[in-house]
Amino acid sequence: MNIVYELIADGFFAAIAGMGFGAISDPPLKAFPGIGILAALGHALRYALMDYAGIDIASASFCAALLIGFMSLLLGERLRCPMTVLYIPALLPMIPGMYAYRTVFSMIMFMQNIGDAALSSEYMAALLLNAVVTVTVIFALAVGATIPIFLFKEKAYSMTREKPRNRKRHDGNVLADNK
Amino acid sequence: MKTEEQLQETLDFIGEYAGQLLGSGVHTSRVVRNTKRIGRSQDINVHITTFQRTAILTVSDPETHRTLTEVIDIPQLPISFELNSNLSALSWRAADRHMPLCDIREEYRRLVSRPKINPLFVMLMASLANASFCRLFGGDLCAVCIVFSSTLVGFSLKQELQKMGLNHFIVFILSAFMASLCASSALVFNADAEVALATSVLFLIPGVPLINGVIDIVEGHILLGLSRIINALLLVVCLAIGLSATLLLVKNSLL
Repeated sequence: MNIVYELIADGFFAAIAGMGFGAISDPPLKAFPGIGILAALGHALRYALMDYAGIDIASASFCAALLIGFMSLLLGERLRCPMTVLYIPALLPMIPGMYAYRTVFSMIMFMQNIGDAALSSEYMAALLLNAVVTVTVIFALAVGATIPIFLFKEKAYSMTREKPRNRKRHDGNVLADNK
Repeated sequence: MKTEEQLQETLDFIGEYAGQLLGSGVHTSRVVRNTKRIGRSQDINVHITTFQRTAILTVSDPETHRTLTEVIDIPQLPISFELNSNLSALSWRAADRHMPLCDIREEYRRLVSRPKINPLFVMLMASLANASFCRLFGGDLCAVCIVFSSTLVGFSLKQELQKMGLNHFIVFILSAFMASLCASSALVFNADAEVALATSVLFLIPGVPLINGVIDIVEGHILLGLSRIINALLLVVCLAIGLSATLLLVKNSLL
């Protein structure tokens, strides 16, 4: 029961974070619920993989991004909006903020303790560790969500196209399905 | 068959359309596909080469093999997913319905002049987002409230400075400093100061250009992808500078 509660709470906050960060980039209003759902599913999956299955943050982020990518393929078609409009804001809550922060913090502490060999090498190690995790996770997120586009090119490239029954030529005749 | 003027007119419109897309944060392969599709609706071929600040556009009439080329400047616009979505849909409508150029242009003008989301709403949403981010990183209730209010301060400062037309690097440094300085009040309230400080500046992360950059690179538009990532990284560096200023002030209480 506790697990379910934690997953739901995690997804809930991720949904708010996704929609909020999405709002900065001026998404269409119809996309907001979709962004929320994707962000919640992705983040909850990553949380489950990391906390219950013991998978590392980069692989877990990759799996979550993959899920978000596939779901945006389904939702994008329904909402008629490009996949990137849905999945970019949904990925944002998974940006490893704490690692990014610790990168900056260790860099400052490294510079402050440059004369002390033991302390400076400790902060250098922390700097490297946090920087590598940050960069890897961001790369895994972007690539994971993009893979579905490569797999389903045809579908991914025509998200904003009208359904065939609505397509009318300018002169009123229904158009044949030309590419 | 197109006359010289018709070809020029089409080129001008496609140039404006492509510039608008590239300026408002659409990844490269989509811009290329959309412009080609608009060209197809007018029965001409379009080829486009894109850079960060300019793009080169060539249109040719397949019947007469007449070619026109133009270099367009890419305007620096705020990121807009709505335009991304609507202008893509417009390109499909144009191609599917064989819309005449004047109709496409009219609809384009209508879509571009649509009002943006209310800035106050955006500010509130961004603050809520940052506060939930703080919760996701394990911050306690007090830290969540502090992050919410410091994001409000930081975000409104960013909006005001941007309105004044200040250089965006400086805007990022100042807003990051302001937001993290407010968040450092967590030290006084005995809340999770580390989490509060770390999350207070995250609303400034340029996530869209970062992810667009990676998408461009994996899709083969490596040069433009790298330019996007470098651009985003410069902003991240500015964010880090602002945060560092606060950290230098309070680091002794954090250790």
